Amino acid sequence: MTESSAATGIDESNAAGARGFRLAVDRHTPVIVQGITGRAGRRHAPMMRAAGTAIVGGVSARADAREVEGIPVFADCAQAVQATGARASVVLVGPEQVQAAVFEALAAGIDLVVTPTEGVPLHDALRIRAAVTAAGAVWIGASTPGLAIPGEAKLGFLPDVSLAPGPVGIASKSGTLSYEAGYRLVQAGLGQSAWIGVGGDPGKGTRFADLVPWFSRHGTTEAVLLIGEIGGTEEEEFAATVASAAFGKPVVALIAGRTAPGGVSMGHAGAITWGTHGTWEAKRDALERAGALVCASLPEAVRAIGRALGRQHAPRG
Amino acid sequence: MFLLEHDAKQLLARHGVPAPGGAWVGPRGEGLDACAADLSGPQVLKAQVQGGGRGRAGGIRKVASPTDLAAAIESIAGPRGRLGDGRPIAGFRVESVVEGAQEAYLSLAVDPAAARIRVMVSARGGVDIEQVAAEWLVQELAPLDPSAVARAVRTAVARLPGLGHGPHAAAMREALAAAGDTLAAAFVDLEAQLIEINPLFVFPDGGWLAGDAKVVTDDSALGRQGAQRALLERAGARYEDVDRKWRHGCDYVVVDPDGEIGLLTTGAGLSMMLIDELRARGLKPYNFLDVRTGGLRGDPRRLVDVLQWMTAGSRLRVLLVNIFAGITDLGEFASLLDQALEAVPALRVPVVARLVGPGLDAAREQLAARGIEVETDLDRAVARVRERLGEPCA
Repeated sequence: MTESSAATGIDESNAAGARGFRLAVDRHTPVIVQGITGRAGRRHAPMMRAAGTAIVGGVSARADAREVEGIPVFADCAQAVQATGARASVVLVGPEQVQAAVFEALAAGIDLVVTPTEGVPLHDALRIRAAVTAAGAVWIGASTPGLAIPGEAKLGFLPDVSLAPGPVGIASKSGTLSYEAGYRLVQAGLGQSAWIGVGGDPGKGTRFADLVPWFSRHGTTEAVLLIGEIGGTEEEEFAATVASAAFGKPVVALIAGRTAPGGVSMGHAGAITWGTHGTWEAKRDALERAGALVCASLPEAVRAIGRALGRQHAPRG
Repeated sequence: MFLLEHDAKQLLARHGVPAPGGAWVGPRGEGLDACAADLSGPQVLKAQVQGGGRGRAGGIRKVASPTDLAAAIESIAGPRGRLGDGRPIAGFRVESVVEGAQEAYLSLAVDPAAARIRVMVSARGGVDIEQVAAEWLVQELAPLDPSAVARAVRTAVARLPGLGHGPHAAAMREALAAAGDTLAAAFVDLEAQLIEINPLFVFPDGGWLAGDAKVVTDDSALGRQGAQRALLERAGARYEDVDRKWRHGCDYVVVDPDGEIGLLTTGAGLSMMLIDELRARGLKPYNFLDVRTGGLRGDPRRLVDVLQWMTAGSRLRVLLVNIFAGITDLGEFASLLDQALEAVPALRVPVVARLVGPGLDAAREQLAARGIEVETDLDRAVARVRERLGEPCA
């Protein structure tokens, strides 16, 4: 074996960007929306702004576009960055256009790109990852509902009904399952410190394990809820990273797909098991060995988070 | 899309990957007479099923003469048209037997953790690669670029242990390097996730053939992969789930043909979790579905299709709708659901709806007219499903 990754799933090149994963997003972070005149852009740019995000501009190739809901529209990223000082971009373009859009953002000096679009071709994702790493930037996506620091900013689609400031760090592959979990946490009086959707594709910018050092240092995160699913090795990598570092915060994990049939892709391109590879049991075992509490249901996960934080009043699901 | 061997070899042939001559025969031997006329000598009959381990499951049979093929087909497929392990047989590939070759192994795969291409080479092929001891398997990582991948194959070949210096070793090195060049280009052109050639037949003159081919393509690249799209159009029945997603824009998998609960759900993760939780309570979901409400765009068509598919569930007794809408307007969704239920009268089962999101009041009103009560709590909705099934509430 020339690489350690075949045995452990961990690889040196695994870090998101040469400088590792970092995230410094708050209400002052200037954010642009690429594809702002499209259907998703028109809809979500104002919603992100309403959630507190400093949406300072948009990018669209449409010559007639001047502004969307009062947000100035620029012809390309370079002009948008020059005019607004944007540091981050939410890319809302079609799956085959994501690669070019991210390259454009990186060339303009953007150092955080969030790409919610589902169905980005895998080889494009590999090329994007290589470019993001070379630029020392951070990429969240593809196929992600995005990220949020509740009360500060939201870059993506996370529903407001599931968001509230609080102590729980959420890392999730699935959008909807995390919406449901966040909703129940909020109902139980437990908000979130940071919510990062890494996405359900096999090729992506940021993997669960990349988030471990950041969550470990993140001051307002008191416990982490990992929302994974069958397929791939991200949960195992996360477990190995937690086990090897002095993580120091409780981890509760919810893994979807325990009873899914093997060899069939369950909605997400990455959610597929082959034999014993990527199975629920493999993930549970790895996470439990790392000291995480693996829950079988949503109500159980919410109760476990409540207990981990010493909030015994969390209602019984 | 995990291609059947025959389809994989045909696709690879367009990219210069050589394989023994072979023909497709239907699962009941359809087309055998036509192709047998052109054959002579020993043949190998290979059942076309998804996934590996086909040889162990009795799916590969050598016959001395083409006249023995019909009996071999019957003996492999049995009365149910399935392999010994239960996998349905889509058809057979009849291939001429290859003699006088060494058997090697070569695979190229996307390594998602490394975000690079993992090259694996072994001079000992022909068996399940997980059974090959690590010391006989050489691995390299390369960026996604045909010449870099081809170089990585050559580097791996140069490190192959135990080959020695004889003519066999020279032929092995030459064949694997040449195969690496061809397969690296094919891998990038086809936007593959995996190409595994095992066995890779190596001849004394350094020539090679793909004895078997395991190819996984990228469903997200179908829009720009014309040959793969053409395959799906020609043989969609062999790739039902992919075909359905391509044509209908949603993921639907029957998880239990005897299931009692039809699921009209959106979101892959939540739908999977719901299936797990229902089963943990002893309930029997029929299907997995990520209908993608965001993509309905005012047209009930997709919902109609889904409900139509569910009518195939002979034990279906209740339909559970679960939509956690971030932005989808539930009033609009309820109206589409109403139209869809109207359009599929064959699905005569009670409906339990759990909805959260904008437009909830309009949705309640719309569905109340159909006698459907809306819950906002998923656990309460599941309790209602139990009631509908005539089981006591947990």
